[in-house]
Amino acid sequence: MNRPLSAIAGGATGIAVMSLLLLFLEVETRSNLAIFEAVARFAGMPGNVTFGFVLFVLAGVFAWPLAFMALEEYIPGGPDPATRGMVLAAVLWVVFVLTGRGDLSGGLLAIYVIFTLLAHLCYGFLLGAVYGRLTSEGPVESERYDPSDVSQ
Amino acid sequence: MGVISVLKEIPGLLVVTWALLGLAIYAGYRQNWQMRSVAADGGYLSGLGFKSEKPAGIFRWLTTVDHKDIGVLYIVFAAGAALWGGTDAMMIRTELFTAGTDVWSAETYNALFTTHGLTMLFFFVTPAFTGLANYFVPILVGADDMSFPRINAIAFWLLPPAFFLVRGGLITEVMGKMLAAVGVRWELLFSLRPPTLGWTLYAPRSIIVSNPQVDLVLLGLHLSGLATIMASVNIIVTIFTERDENITWANLDIFSWTLLTTSGIVLFAFPVLGSALLMLVADRNFGTTFFAVEGGGPILWQHLFWFFGHPEVYILVLPAFGLVSLILPKFAGRKLFGFKFIVYSTLAIGVLSFGVWAHHMFATGMDPRLRASFMAVSLAIAIPSAVKTFNWMATLWGGNVRWATPQIFCVGGIMTFIIGGVTGVFLASIPVDLVLHDTYYVVGHFHFIVMGVITFAAFAASYYWFPLLTGRMFNRRLGRIHGYLSIVGVFVAFLPMILIGYGGLPRRSASYPGAFEALQQLSSFGAVIIGIGALIWLTNLVQSYRLGPIVTDADVWNLRETGQFSREWQWFEEQLEDRTKFRR
Repeated sequence: MNRPLSAIAGGATGIAVMSLLLLFLEVETRSNLAIFEAVARFAGMPGNVTFGFVLFVLAGVFAWPLAFMALEEYIPGGPDPATRGMVLAAVLWVVFVLTGRGDLSGGLLAIYVIFTLLAHLCYGFLLGAVYGRLTSEGPVESERYDPSDVSQ
Repeated sequence: MGVISVLKEIPGLLVVTWALLGLAIYAGYRQNWQMRSVAADGGYLSGLGFKSEKPAGIFRWLTTVDHKDIGVLYIVFAAGAALWGGTDAMMIRTELFTAGTDVWSAETYNALFTTHGLTMLFFFVTPAFTGLANYFVPILVGADDMSFPRINAIAFWLLPPAFFLVRGGLITEVMGKMLAAVGVRWELLFSLRPPTLGWTLYAPRSIIVSNPQVDLVLLGLHLSGLATIMASVNIIVTIFTERDENITWANLDIFSWTLLTTSGIVLFAFPVLGSALLMLVADRNFGTTFFAVEGGGPILWQHLFWFFGHPEVYILVLPAFGLVSLILPKFAGRKLFGFKFIVYSTLAIGVLSFGVWAHHMFATGMDPRLRASFMAVSLAIAIPSAVKTFNWMATLWGGNVRWATPQIFCVGGIMTFIIGGVTGVFLASIPVDLVLHDTYYVVGHFHFIVMGVITFAAFAASYYWFPLLTGRMFNRRLGRIHGYLSIVGVFVAFLPMILIGYGGLPRRSASYPGAFEALQQLSSFGAVIIGIGALIWLTNLVQSYRLGPIVTDADVWNLRETGQFSREWQWFEEQLEDRTKFRR
């Protein structure tokens, strides 16, 4: 598959899982975290949850994956594209936490910080893994395992 | 300015633990997850991609009746449920970090411990061990497949709907929120609220509560019970009728023995739960009075529930004992000490488990003579459990112990089981129980067992059989880090609970007196350590499945030199030979 399409497929997978994770977190915490208000703030549409969310999805499906494709060589953590995706997502997460946390504090802030980081890492991982899988020529091959090697 | 205030408000402990996680994963990457160039035999198949006539992709997983595939489905389902239930646990510990009710509302807190318990017991532990049974029992007894492959598939596919029913309130609300995000608001979807009854669903509160979600929970549990019974019948029939000619009762492996006993318990315990649940549904909806004061009374529910509930404890723990008995000798370089007595003790626990239920009810004002007899049986069940523990120790004695990851978890599991078991002996004693009943002591006691030995055995198995399941090796350094973090985490998280219980603090309350705050915070810190360990486990297994070093020699654990190259590994060796025929 060509690279931009692979990247978009990765982004779509990632954003689908990430949205679901955020949705579950939102519901599980009885809306205490106001994740979707945070998403709207992150997307630059504070107060407008629906449009904020649409922008968030569009960015996750098109903007970041294409940026990822362009920047892949320069992102640390390679050569595994999934790790590089996680690095990119971690950077995005920093912005998300700073723009989106509203007036949370204490325990709620800790929950918000940890679970949004996990959701972002999931997004980055899936983005990179799907992209890598669709663009590579064959199955990923690695070294043989040697049982007599006990150095690890 | 925003940056500085964020740094101030995030607790320092969290920063440290997340830095630890990052370092551990980095260590993994330095170790062996560097992708190499494509080797000469590129196209080597992984363990989940056996050459076969199965349909490819998602249809393979939706239509499969192969016991190995169903086993994998079970394991993946159980891992997902465990992570969800673990999220509940982290949220519980967040609330308990401070004395007041200041993170979640009291109702949310009650829902959290209810769903945490139901998820972990019915949708994590039971499916995890059923999955291992599905994959390995036919291989270990030399059968081609389970006796009833289609029933096997049905048993698995009943679980996801059962899980959705039990956690339905959340799922309908997710759907409601999705619709709300595009501007449609459907109130019906918001009408189900998570149950707040505790996993024991004690009458009369479970009858009075008007939340319709409780009915869905009861039906979901009933469905999961059906699934568990079907799986157990399958395991029993497979072990009885499908054994290879050279597998006798005398040389049947220890894991199959424990699963056979477990399945026997399921056969007698789960129908009781099913009936009791239907009676409760009838009480709630059709005006029957099974558990109303004018009928059988709330105590009847407790009797029926614990007649299922206490054997259920052994349904969860016996497969874990089986795994420890199976894995421990492989890394001790010796045969399992007292094999026969481990089997006898398993059978003894299976029988005795039905005679101890009323020790959950010492504080309800039962007849003292009845109470004393249940105390006697509850103390007696410690004997077969101790037989196992001493046999494990004797196996290690004088052995050539190798501290591979599965072994760390086995020995850690024995450690936590000793603490969990001894605290249990105290609870079996009526006078002690009357003081400690329904305090954090009980929570600490059973978490030493369910988070200690049960989950540890599951982790040990996940590492021990990972090469067999995937054809790749996991990152051993990360595995060891996970092992040690988990042992430390369990002790830091649950020892404070024992102390809090001695202080007399009742469980299941979102707020508590400030005097307990330090211990509660220590416990929460331990929970974070366990959580970090679980994330390392997930990262390790996912990345090793994708990029780990390929296994070409079936004797991954050097078992041949001690004569313990057992049947599943011999089977794996044949598979590897078959697979290399397809190498280009």
